[in-house]
Amino acid sequence: MSMRLGDYRLAAGAVAAVLLVAATAPTRAQDKIIKIGALLPMSGPGSYFGAQDKQGIELALDEVNKTGVGGYKLEVKYEDSSCSPLPATQAAKRMLEQYKPDVVIGEECSDATLAIMPLMEQAKVPFLNAGSSAIRITEPGNPWTFRIMPNEVMQGVDIATNAYTRLNARTAVLLYENTNAGIGNAKVFNDTFTKLGGKILADIGFGRDINDFTSIATRVAGVGKIDVIPTYTLEGQGLKITQALAQAGVTKGGGGQAIQLGTIWLPFGFEQKAGKTALGYIRIVQFDPTDQRALVRHFVDAFKAKYGQDPTHLHAHAYDQIALIADTVKRGAKDAQSIRDAFAATKSFTGVTGSVAFDKTNQNAEMDTVHYMETLPDLSWKTLKWN
Amino acid sequence: MTIILQQGINGVVLGSLYVLVALGLTLIYGVLVQINFAHADIVTLGAFSAYFFMHGVGGGYLASIGVSLIVGGALGWLMNTAIFAPLQGKGSELLPLIATIGVSVTMENAMLAWFGPIPYAFDSPYSNEVFRFGGTFITAQNALIVAVSAVTIGLLYAFMKFTFLGKALRAVAQDRETAGLMGINPNQLVMLTFVIASALAGMAGAMLGPVLVLTPFAGTSVIVKAFAIVIIGGFGNFEGAILAGLLVGLIESFTTQYLGPGMIDIVVFALLLMMLAIRPTGLIAEKREENV
Repeated sequence: MSMRLGDYRLAAGAVAAVLLVAATAPTRAQDKIIKIGALLPMSGPGSYFGAQDKQGIELALDEVNKTGVGGYKLEVKYEDSSCSPLPATQAAKRMLEQYKPDVVIGEECSDATLAIMPLMEQAKVPFLNAGSSAIRITEPGNPWTFRIMPNEVMQGVDIATNAYTRLNARTAVLLYENTNAGIGNAKVFNDTFTKLGGKILADIGFGRDINDFTSIATRVAGVGKIDVIPTYTLEGQGLKITQALAQAGVTKGGGGQAIQLGTIWLPFGFEQKAGKTALGYIRIVQFDPTDQRALVRHFVDAFKAKYGQDPTHLHAHAYDQIALIADTVKRGAKDAQSIRDAFAATKSFTGVTGSVAFDKTNQNAEMDTVHYMETLPDLSWKTLKWN
Repeated sequence: MTIILQQGINGVVLGSLYVLVALGLTLIYGVLVQINFAHADIVTLGAFSAYFFMHGVGGGYLASIGVSLIVGGALGWLMNTAIFAPLQGKGSELLPLIATIGVSVTMENAMLAWFGPIPYAFDSPYSNEVFRFGGTFITAQNALIVAVSAVTIGLLYAFMKFTFLGKALRAVAQDRETAGLMGINPNQLVMLTFVIASALAGMAGAMLGPVLVLTPFAGTSVIVKAFAIVIIGGFGNFEGAILAGLLVGLIESFTTQYLGPGMIDIVVFALLLMMLAIRPTGLIAEKREENV
């Protein structure tokens, strides 16, 4: 009996040893992997963000992982955060518990980003954002959240100032979705434009469930002479607003005088979908495809070679997120804490969208990621070189 | 005055859109006492059918409306044959209801996989043609929507009131068992109801496609309003749905003008709650047996 017990102990010891080896073997293999969690909207009205972000990420991974960086390879796991707080929170929890990433990138929509941030802070995982504009993401500052994209104040002040000084706009109508980002962007424009001496004729917020914008365009048409219409929406609603404003004869695309002003929320190709109604539309994009820097030309060529299409600014800022993480690894980062510290120390990173230098709130302080484009009659773009 | 008139036109257009979607819902409820949660996805598939008929096959927009009607009808036949008919008489009325949710989720995700998440620019030849008169305007597409809605309502009304099949449908809606004893095959009429309702949804998709943001979630964005219309009009009540659809369209337009678009849902759903509290039978109060 005692012999049998001893056999059991021996066998149990052997099994434990095997399990220990099995358990540690993957860990050793993963020692040289930087795990990146990507929380992207892959369903719902913002899913075009996720689809394009993923393409930019995959291209960057191909390039970085060809040789690796500092002896590490980068690995990405995707979760659908749906551009909305609740699914974003659930996706983030899943990501943190199951994948245990060294760094997380995403979301695009501010409401979702704001919901994810506390979870990342609690887990002490650095969170790199490239597409959300709400000021609260970096004000007063969160030690674990970093933002490449200019926030709503940087964008809003800039676009309002340019509208007033370069376009000589004196009247404006604000159109925006009722989200943190929509309300915030519109408020900054309102404050800046009014301070400069401009007048806001109407301030119109709407839900994401609105489909027909004819009634809104009718109301806009009735407020008097409008110079500019800053519009803060996702692509789908943006298209319908642009068409409705033209049909109501308000904007240049419909024979009116008003110029629509837009943000980086809209993807490339928007003008082709909106057609002639988009004539004269001026908007910020985060990436200038006509930029002649070697880095940008390489990105454009590599993207075309991989996907057979031109890259958009969403592809570009996702590509830059991976490139910045690779840069931190090159500078010696190897885990969550050291990646966070390397992000915080970033003062001169150059990406395809522009430069990155994080300030004390972890906001990118550089403005060269803001590019202004105007839609021409043939629906092509003219770079305005305002920044 | 011009603005009031313009918002009136906008409201009638919007109401006509809602009526097109709500008619199928109310028809199914009237005959089957069943809510079809997959209705929104048939609307979406109808819109995509029209889009791909135009942009893939090179067909015309008016013909694409017919294509969507057929696609919707075929899908209705398939759904009833494969899912709802086998579930009839299985003991629980919840089974078909849950099945419609399952069909809806499956269709939505299948469309997301096939068509992708990026919004499609579905412009009909009438989208950018604008008629202007006395300071007001209407696009040719919107005028077409009102005309198609009016013709559809007229044809459906005539079908239900004056044809043998329509009368048989109403008989099944009133009392399925007694209708069966009179020589009517209720199962065939249930199938017919599904086919007609789904064909209407498909056609509504083709009409809505150029107006809505065309994504795999397009139908979902109007279905909530369509459900509200069916409730406000009276479950299964044909005339009530038409009246409620136009009323909701007008409320939306004038709320946008005078209160702001952010107030639309508050006003519409406050009306819905008020109707449920004060007049639960709907705008046109009838006994359910007299519906459809």
